[in-house]
Amino acid sequence: MTTRAVEPWTLEPMVGFVQEAGARLVLVMTSAGQVLAQHGFSRAMDVMSAAALGAAIMASTDEIARQLDQPPFAALNHQGERHGIFLAAVPTNRGRLVVLVVYDLDVSSLGLVQLFFGQLAADLRAASPKPEVPKQVLAADFERDLGNSLNALFGR
Amino acid sequence: MSLVNFTAREIACKIVYYGPGRSGKTTNLHYVYDRVPDSRRGQMVSLATQTDRTLFFDFLPIDLGQISGFSTRFQLYTVPGQVYYNATRRLVLQGADGVVFVADSQAQQLDENLESLQNLQSNLLEHGVDVRSLPLVMQYNKQDLPRELILAPADLDDALNFRGVPSFGADALHGAGVFETLKGISELVLKRLAAGSPA
Amino acid sequence: MTIAPAGGGFARALDLVTRVRGVRGAMLVTGDDGLVVAEQLMEGIKGPAVAALAASVARRLGRAMETAGVGATLFWHLQAERGALLVVPAPSGLLVVAVAEPEVNVGLVRLELLRAAEGVG
Repeated sequence: MTTRAVEPWTLEPMVGFVQEAGARLVLVMTSAGQVLAQHGFSRAMDVMSAAALGAAIMASTDEIARQLDQPPFAALNHQGERHGIFLAAVPTNRGRLVVLVVYDLDVSSLGLVQLFFGQLAADLRAASPKPEVPKQVLAADFERDLGNSLNALFGR
Repeated sequence: MSLVNFTAREIACKIVYYGPGRSGKTTNLHYVYDRVPDSRRGQMVSLATQTDRTLFFDFLPIDLGQISGFSTRFQLYTVPGQVYYNATRRLVLQGADGVVFVADSQAQQLDENLESLQNLQSNLLEHGVDVRSLPLVMQYNKQDLPRELILAPADLDDALNFRGVPSFGADALHGAGVFETLKGISELVLKRLAAGSPA
Repeated sequence: MTIAPAGGGFARALDLVTRVRGVRGAMLVTGDDGLVVAEQLMEGIKGPAVAALAASVARRLGRAMETAGVGATLFWHLQAERGALLVVPAPSGLLVVAVAEPEVNVGLVRLELLRAAEGVG
């Protein structure tokens, strides 16, 4: 099972949650669908698709709440034959994050996921650092690399 | 907002293909999907209606490889073009690092292009983003149609490209201009990162 | 015609359990999800947490019983330093859960839990 965090402060809360709630897959992401931490996925690209869909579902329910003139819904749960999906938001110092959890119904339950999600939310809130001032990322001459990469990508 | 992992040296950016209905946004993504090797792309996710019109969005993650020592991934999204899907358009636009505006080059579609461009500006403003500060490129699609039906890229630039951003003529169905457009927006988005600006 | 308020039957079932001396609370919990359907709890008992964890234990115990070839679980009782947890699965898949003090009359609680389970079907 792969467990990794783009932002290290998210790792410990997520690992604790996975162990306690018996979750199969977990994604911690921004509300725009950028992944901060993940557990259980095998391919990075699949993670991105799941994050895009999770963020979209969350955005949709937020919008429904907005149109109903209500505060955002706390969480959403779907249950299938063998797996359940739990989706909820956590306000942190790094903005509103979205957590997507997939759990096996014979290992965990909505009650357990809900129970330990409360702890995860508190841990993420406590661990989240204040937003940083953006710093320079790429070298100024990145364009040659980009040109080569895109050419290779399109077989040119 | 792009995500940069300095420890693992990874960059993830969100690019949104915007434009009026049937201008060819999904076609752009299909062409990219077909041309990029399996190992460099994820699944293409399409939330479409039964008639294959985009209902929510299309999504395609691609792996650009190493740029300045950073493993760089782009998440390509399209929005639904039809006017009545504005709520979902606004949602997809959230957190975009760059926008490709796909205009329909047909002369009779000019009003739709303008309306969509104005809609882009107002949706960005709702997210607190000034369109002048966001990396943007224009793609004038369907340039393969008969000359008498379409406007030339220069005319479309006059009508739509107020900011003078990079623009590309295209025939997305057959791939002309698709790669150039993606390269154009990639450069702008990464240049912004290189300059250390908030993406 | 009067219509009983939703969950009225559940409240009556829980009354059977909570009237036993030494019982600090009773709950009906969905066995699959571990969610609280109805509860009568004294202050300080974390209903949702007890429900989620009790359902989790019930599932594991159920599996152990089946593996041991002794059939479905009818009743279980976990004694701890400062109290006890007693559970009877109802035929509908609900769990009737009691949280009790250490010196509670276990036989009586068991009887009322079985009656409550019968009552909720």
